[in-house]
Amino acid sequence: MKGASERTLSFMLPMASAAVIAVAWQLAVELGDVPELILPTPSAIAAKLFGTLPSLLQQAAVTGREALAAFVLAVAAGFAGAAAISSSKILREIVYPAIVTLQLIPKVALAPLFVIFLGIDHEARITFAALLSFFPVLISTSVGLANTDLSALRLCRSLGASPWRTFWSVRVPFALPHFFSGMRISSTMAVTGVVIAEFISAREGLGFAILVAGARSQTAAAFAAIAVLCLLGLVLYGAVAGLERLAIRWYRG
Amino acid sequence: MPLAAAQAADHGFIQVRQARKVYASGDKAVEALSDVSFDVARGEFIAILGPSGCGKSTLLMMCGGLEQATGGTIEIAGRPMTGPRTSIGIMFQDPTLLPWKTVLQNVMFPAHILRRPDAEYRDRAQQLVDMVGLHGFENKRPHELSGGMRQRVAICRALLNDPDILLMDEPFSALDAITRDEMNEALLDIWRHYGKTALFVTHSIREAALLADRVLVMTRRPATVVADIRVPFGRPRDISVTESPEFTRLCAELRGMIEHGGAARDRRPGDGPVLQPGRHGGQA
Repeated sequence: MKGASERTLSFMLPMASAAVIAVAWQLAVELGDVPELILPTPSAIAAKLFGTLPSLLQQAAVTGREALAAFVLAVAAGFAGAAAISSSKILREIVYPAIVTLQLIPKVALAPLFVIFLGIDHEARITFAALLSFFPVLISTSVGLANTDLSALRLCRSLGASPWRTFWSVRVPFALPHFFSGMRISSTMAVTGVVIAEFISAREGLGFAILVAGARSQTAAAFAAIAVLCLLGLVLYGAVAGLERLAIRWYRG
Repeated sequence: MPLAAAQAADHGFIQVRQARKVYASGDKAVEALSDVSFDVARGEFIAILGPSGCGKSTLLMMCGGLEQATGGTIEIAGRPMTGPRTSIGIMFQDPTLLPWKTVLQNVMFPAHILRRPDAEYRDRAQQLVDMVGLHGFENKRPHELSGGMRQRVAICRALLNDPDILLMDEPFSALDAITRDEMNEALLDIWRHYGKTALFVTHSIREAALLADRVLVMTRRPATVVADIRVPFGRPRDISVTESPEFTRLCAELRGMIEHGGAARDRRPGDGPVLQPGRHGGQA
């Protein structure tokens, strides 16, 4: 009983606070006589949202597919990179400084270059978003793999286990919590990356819709697209969090 | 292992000869173990007793193939140790259970990690779990178990491959005194049941005297075996042996050796059969 009511509460509180913010926003705009061009009311945004829902969902599907592809690519590359780094000291010493340096570049600055490298199609946007979102997975997974319980590794050695078996049976499970926290960050960055790329090179997608609405001073339309974008990010993040919960349940029994 | 080698190796089943271990620590070398020699017969239970930092764990890890000797030789079953063997089961100070695996899965881990078929090991794993009194806990996770129960799981895991030798590195040192007594009794039962050759590292004089056929006493300076004492209590043995005056006397004698170093090194391995109950056969 307690669990159920706690769950209801943890659902109701954020909903309530969102409702309070929306009402305050609505009142502030109406009472303050703010022009709709600057800040539309939540009700105007909602009207726009539902009025153009089919086209917004179409744009969301484009952005969502690209973000998902970028995320999957980032996770795969981040995991593989972390596995390589953690298995070879030489590789770590060669690769790590380069990765840290690359990390220091504001990657948004690279976005226009991707148009030159890869054109203006899906591939360019996916690659850019993947690049943006792969660092968190790489870094936190390699931290996780490096922190495997030493006595567990000694146990494996005493049993004559191969490095490959040890990696999959012991090191990866120990690194799972780190892997998931990297994936969480990466999931939000994948959406961000795709939107940035759409600003630069797309003819479709939510980023493009926001850009167009902005250019035409359709503030409410821009907000509506941003709202859908938020929802998209939430879905991806929620999927990762759900997977994480499953993994933790497996881990703890 | 070939039968001939097995027979030949019965007396010197484990042979340690002038074993040394030197660690490089910065510029200087630190001698963790100097000139250790002893023999262990098949089926014997040996306690290696000494203060912390005397190199006893290093010696055990060398016997398990997890550390290489810097000098000297260690032969087990007639073959020099070059690396870990499945015929040697090891129990560490920390039970080292995998938190995401159940009790039974942890016991089966040695088979799992070597990709052996589960079916061949399940019966034995279950039998071991029953033997140590964990029946009904097969599907629990390590965090649901007490410290003593975790070490019981670790014993089962070490015995899964039916090893010839069981190496134990202070396995009960993190347990409270009562649980420790329970575990010592459980270990006496297991040892009687399976009759493994055992090397048991401990810094508890009482534990060494209770469990072992022979106690190898080690000191810190020099980091070597200074005495080889035969324990005069027969088998089967239980915790009540600790209440006898002989036990108290033996403990006092062992304590003296640890404190005063190598004065008492007179008994050699293989000096004769295990002594009868009640006869005090420590120092001549």
